[in-house]
Amino acid sequence: MIYVHKIASVTPQKELLPASIDEVNESVNNVLKVVEPKYEGVPLSILRRMGKAVRMGVGAALPLINTLEFPLNGIVIGTANGGMEDCIKFLNQVIEFEEGTLTPTNFVQSTPNAIAAQLSLLSANNGYNITHVNRGLAFENALLDVWMLLKENKTHTYLLGGVEEISSYNYNIDYLADWFKKDEVSNKAMFASETEGTLSGEGSAMFIVNAFPEKAIAKIDALHLMHTDDVTEIERQLQHFFNQHLEDGQSIDVLVSGENGDIRSRHFFEASERLLKDATIVRFKHLTGDFATASALALTITCQLIQSNVLPDHMVKIDRHKKNINKVLIYNQHKGIQHSFILVSKPAA
Amino acid sequence: MANEELKHTLKEQIIKYLNLLEKTPADIKDDQVLFGEELGLDSIDSVELIVLLEREYGIKIKDPKEGRKVLVDVNTMADYIIANRTR
Repeated sequence: MIYVHKIASVTPQKELLPASIDEVNESVNNVLKVVEPKYEGVPLSILRRMGKAVRMGVGAALPLINTLEFPLNGIVIGTANGGMEDCIKFLNQVIEFEEGTLTPTNFVQSTPNAIAAQLSLLSANNGYNITHVNRGLAFENALLDVWMLLKENKTHTYLLGGVEEISSYNYNIDYLADWFKKDEVSNKAMFASETEGTLSGEGSAMFIVNAFPEKAIAKIDALHLMHTDDVTEIERQLQHFFNQHLEDGQSIDVLVSGENGDIRSRHFFEASERLLKDATIVRFKHLTGDFATASALALTITCQLIQSNVLPDHMVKIDRHKKNINKVLIYNQHKGIQHSFILVSKPAA
Repeated sequence: MANEELKHTLKEQIIKYLNLLEKTPADIKDDQVLFGEELGLDSIDSVELIVLLEREYGIKIKDPKEGRKVLVDVNTMADYIIANRTR
């Protein structure tokens, strides 16, 4: 198991969990863009070259690394697309300038591993450094990697993160493929939408994790990822996941559901809710929008819920009046084919 | 293009190509050393400036020694552009 010690994020909201729906930033043209902080601590000369994904990733992670009381043994990032905006800029330049001299910055920033690499350079960390790019399971694969690393190296500490930016090019491709809504729908009303598609989002979530329970804010008990479009398979595997990881008498207090307002994926979430008849159901994508590594922000939100023991009303779909948030299941899916379960619990005091 | 107008345009292009946040043409003096502490430019920026000269003025700098003489300040860049521009 993995213990989460520190969290940081850049999200479309001013506060990670707005207290009321009135404080929730509203989507514009079905898009939720991040509210970028001032990125203090990142040298201006380096910041000016960064694309948005790199800025969000480095901006969230660097303060965590710089305030770490123990050595960091590696940096593990999940991102489906990395700095796609810079990547397309670079490729367009190849055509526009007929394969002549190209600017290095867009190229350097365009590769998905630019975030982990930049963090390594800025923090002088020469440990394990890798970026997982498994589309809608990129963050989960990063988490799985850290899980295996901690099994081998029980005293190590890692930076784990998930980052995604909205690039206009990628947005347009996904829009044409009907992944985003064609009708104007506010994020504040997205769960009542009866149309196909979701709202586009972006963000970055960073975690300092190790195998030490002392002072941890959350414990990741188990992780399961799968590829399927069969809802009965989801139910079967979720039941198996519970059988494997919940002890007798244990139950899930809260389901953090990746419900995304797309009518085509609603049955997946309803299936997970059927197996959790006693759990409070909360949703988060009205705060973040949907993107390939949204589960990273779901984990940040879960850590915050466990820490605060408070569920903002606007997140709650079904309230089962739990007094304490001790065990949380995050269920997320991407494009109806990539699914994950992450079981998180409150560490023993 | 008159020399002063060229220098102003060049400063705008430097800001755009190097993404110099919070800088305006007025912040860059004609004789200010580009690769000094004040502007904080580095070796990657020198490549960006070479690309700027090629794209905007049709000038190709192939000899690094020549580049060192040209990319000193806005004055030296402007003089080189006037003498060598192809567009």
